[in-house]
Amino acid sequence: MAAYFIRRILLTIPTFIGVTLIVFMVTRIVPGGPLERRIMELRQASAAQGGSSTSIVDSTTMIPKTALNELKKTFNLDKPAYVAYTIWLKNVFQLDLGRSFFYKEPVWEMITSRFPISLTFGLTGFILSYLVCIPLGIYKALKHGTPFDFVSSAIVFIGYSIPGWAMGVLLLLFLASGRFVDVMPLGGIRSSSFDELPKMVQSSEEVEGVSDEFGTFQWERLTPISKFVDIVYHMILPVFCYMLSGFATLTVLMKNALMENLGQDYVRTGFAKGLSERRVIFMHTLRNSLIPLATGLGHALSLIMAGSYLIEFVFNIDGLGYLGFNAIVQRDYAVVMGILVINTMLTLFGNIFSDVLYALIDPRIRFD
Amino acid sequence: MTKPLLEVKNLSIKYPIWGGVLRHKVNEVCAVDDVSFTINVGETLGLVGESGCGKTTVAKSIVNIHRAMTPGVAQEGEILFHTDDGPVNVLELDRSQMRSLRAQIQIIFQDPFSSLNPRMTVGNIIDGPLRLHSGKTASERRERVAYFLERVGLQPEHAGRYPHEFSGGQRQRVGIARALAVQPKLIVADEAVSALDVSVQAQVLNLLQDLQDEFSLTYLFVAHDLSVVHHISDRIAVMYLGKIVEMGDSDSVYKTPSHPYSQALISAVPQPIPRRVR
Amino acid sequence: MNANRTQNDLSKQKPLLEVRDLRTYFRVEGGIAKAVDGVSFDVYPDEVIGIVGESGSGKSVTSLSIMRLIPDPPGFIAGGEIWFNEQNLIDLTYDEMRRVRGNEIGMIFQEPMTALNPVFTVGMQVMEAVRTHQKVSRKEARNLAIEILDKVGILDADRRLKDYPHQFSGGMRQRVMLAMALVCNPQLLIADEPTTALDVTTQAQILDLMLELKAEHERGSIMLITHDLGVVAETCDRVIVMYGGKLQEMGSVEQIFEDPQHPYTRGLLDSLPSHQRPGEDRLRAIPGNVPSIMDLPSGCKFCTRCEDAVIGCENTEPPLYDVGEGHLVRCHLLEDAVK
Ligand SMILES: Nc1ncnc2c1ncn2[C@@H]1O[C@H](COP(=O)(O)OP(=O)(O)OP(=O)(O)O)[C@@H](O)[C@H]1O
Ligand SMILES: Nc1ncnc2c1ncn2[C@@H]1O[C@H](COP(=O)(O)OP(=O)(O)OP(=O)(O)O)[C@@H](O)[C@H]1O
Ligand SMILES: [Mg+2]
Ligand SMILES: [Mg+2]
Repeated sequence: MAAYFIRRILLTIPTFIGVTLIVFMVTRIVPGGPLERRIMELRQASAAQGGSSTSIVDSTTMIPKTALNELKKTFNLDKPAYVAYTIWLKNVFQLDLGRSFFYKEPVWEMITSRFPISLTFGLTGFILSYLVCIPLGIYKALKHGTPFDFVSSAIVFIGYSIPGWAMGVLLLLFLASGRFVDVMPLGGIRSSSFDELPKMVQSSEEVEGVSDEFGTFQWERLTPISKFVDIVYHMILPVFCYMLSGFATLTVLMKNALMENLGQDYVRTGFAKGLSERRVIFMHTLRNSLIPLATGLGHALSLIMAGSYLIEFVFNIDGLGYLGFNAIVQRDYAVVMGILVINTMLTLFGNIFSDVLYALIDPRIRFD
Repeated sequence: MTKPLLEVKNLSIKYPIWGGVLRHKVNEVCAVDDVSFTINVGETLGLVGESGCGKTTVAKSIVNIHRAMTPGVAQEGEILFHTDDGPVNVLELDRSQMRSLRAQIQIIFQDPFSSLNPRMTVGNIIDGPLRLHSGKTASERRERVAYFLERVGLQPEHAGRYPHEFSGGQRQRVGIARALAVQPKLIVADEAVSALDVSVQAQVLNLLQDLQDEFSLTYLFVAHDLSVVHHISDRIAVMYLGKIVEMGDSDSVYKTPSHPYSQALISAVPQPIPRRVR
Repeated sequence: MNANRTQNDLSKQKPLLEVRDLRTYFRVEGGIAKAVDGVSFDVYPDEVIGIVGESGSGKSVTSLSIMRLIPDPPGFIAGGEIWFNEQNLIDLTYDEMRRVRGNEIGMIFQEPMTALNPVFTVGMQVMEAVRTHQKVSRKEARNLAIEILDKVGILDADRRLKDYPHQFSGGMRQRVMLAMALVCNPQLLIADEPTTALDVTTQAQILDLMLELKAEHERGSIMLITHDLGVVAETCDRVIVMYGGKLQEMGSVEQIFEDPQHPYTRGLLDSLPSHQRPGEDRLRAIPGNVPSIMDLPSGCKFCTRCEDAVIGCENTEPPLYDVGEGHLVRCHLLEDAVK
């Protein structure tokens, strides 16, 4: 078994190289890359300097050759693609993901500063889903065919068929926009003004206490409890949207797994031994039913931690997803590649983590 | 009439055991070890032995499906099948050659439940090999399907039904009809009646015998129930741990086994005679 | 067991288990499937009683009804009495029945592969059976488990407690099942096709073991369900032959095998390759298929396949005739013989 996991870990290296190589090559081929952007910017800048010049001039004539070569050099475009990739890969192993073309910041720092945000949202959604779906799935299995089962199925499937970001838009419209009710924040991860704080926090804090000498709101001055409440307040809607799509799958998976196991021979054996129904269900079938859930866990974890582009976008959360979304729109390839590195690693190790869990729950599994 | 149809010569089959970090072959199990036997045209050879002795492995190698099913399997020896154009070594055939030979060698599996595709009608199941091998028109094939369904004791209208609508015995008949429809010379029956009730088993055994007379079929009949094997076979081969330990005339192996393992195997079979009477 | 005991001796004894007019039905599409329909029999102390019959004849449903393990829905016990130790099992509450299961009546099933929970150790599963019924410490339960595993022939039982079912072979798993069913010393062991999934040599070992253990336990009885007539002949004292949810013939193993009276029993025996008459090439199979339980005839259940059937067989249900010494047969043809 150890051999299996060593092999799996070793296999992540070629997979990682394969994935990043493909995307790297794509970024070099697709037009509208960073070089063209820079040229355009420079041209616009010089055009602005030139004042009235709006004539269409060939870009190369506008930019001196030396400057162009200089530019190419910064993006490693002067070298053949494979050389550029090797340089990039070597840097990755030294945790140097380059600099954002757009923000000029080191990509590594951009990612690490946002990672905790995505992680908090992802993990919370993830843990909550399991906490709700497992008991719900169990209850539905035991009540199979009853009205409760039907109604809850209908509800989770409606949730399943609505994309999380679309639900986000709807929720914001109804609960936060003020056009209907205004009980939820419009987005962000914490309040940016005193008015935005939840009522509960507002009543326990003094406006003066949380403002600096210029009267601007200082979130850091809130008491720890208020900070916590405020964060939770901001997390409710996005986390709900994170959970929405996985909810149906997870609940139905749990229900089906339990139903299937309840029909197994060993359940009859348990009853024939004189065990109580509770013991048969919660001791014998539950662990078997968790096996299919455990296998999906690593994968789900990696998906969630990487953040959901659209949900973060809708709720204006400055997380990894949002960063990646913007980077793609802006063709900020250094950031795109950096996020790709993180996502690929999460997926690869998430799957290995699933296998470890699988082996822990099911003693029959001998990977070799 | 002692023309050989199938000659198995020094057949050894080793399954690989994979392991290690690079998933290389760390070891192998010798499932079949230097097995040789001959089946003559029109004869039934019974192959018996306890679970895991390699019976299925032998049966599968005759239809040469190991290479496709278990990568890394090592097969040595020869399996000569005597076609009308002379003998061919089954183990050396490539896929397309093997596909055309399938019209002459068919296999029936043990489990009537899992060996039939649940999403295909019985008619389509039987038609499948026909379409591949016979080159007949659709209506000719339909007639053929109906004929063989009747021949195995089912009705032609059963062609439109699905396997789950049949009992275990009926399903096994469907498996037999499928094998028969291409009119093979050799049928390898791997535990074809083991899952059936005695009464149904008797029906299927009778059917196999009738069909043998009618189409001059040759059988390799693999089973663990010695009384059944004794009933249907002309000769019996007893396998133990991948080797044939005894082979001979059906009656003599059954009544006067000479190898201690055959003796043990035969005495383990429960006899339908009350203990106190014996 | 007493080799020469006849039915008459038996009837002087008090039965351990009395099944009276048991009826177990299933609600299925298109109506009610009468899987077991009016079955009565006794099990006496210290005997092995066999139930044989083709697939679907109601053997398992009979045994599961005794244990009150019929899946409900779709099944339910529609009537009858099951007397065991002065109590009618059908009237017991859920918790009272729980104390009978595994404690007074043990049960083992066909597939030792799936009948054990794959994710728990064998030791846990055997100890669980003890601790459900006896107030013993973990350590005592462990010792009892080791003792019983030792008895059923698991070598090195102490160490193997920690192993999982998949680490045992089919035969060994059935031994574990047996250990689990017997650890509380039940008076009755119900074995539903205990050896069907095993090969002949292993089957012989398991059957021997069952008889051996029974011999050790005075007054313990075994109800052995199988479709293998050879197994019945070798292990049972008395035999029940079922078809279409009804008891068709019952008698001592000699009566059934040497002097079968019901055409169905004769048909089953004739189907056996070993009963083939010299000079005959073909087996004398029972013609036709077992009809679906929903379209059984209203009269004799077997009449659609019976070669001796006469006019009237399909209309009226024959009663059970006693052809002597407790040999009961449900067939119209015996009406005159009995009179
Ligand atoms: N794909 C495989 N890989 C490795 N070992 C295998 C494989 N298939 C079979 N074996 C092993 O080869 C041996 C022979 O198996 P085989 O299936 O031929 O037995 P059998 O005689 O048909 O038994 P049974 O009566 O249980 O069907 C067994 O020990 C089995 O474990
Ligand atoms: N859960 C169920 N739902 C509906 N019908 C059932 C159910 N269980 C059993 N039956 C029916 O009851 C009848 C008797 O089944 P039973 O399992 O007792 O047969 P058996 O004699 O044990 O056969 P086998 O040899 O196949 O085990 C069958 O016709 C079967 O279809
Ligand atoms: Mg086999
Ligand atoms: Mg059964």
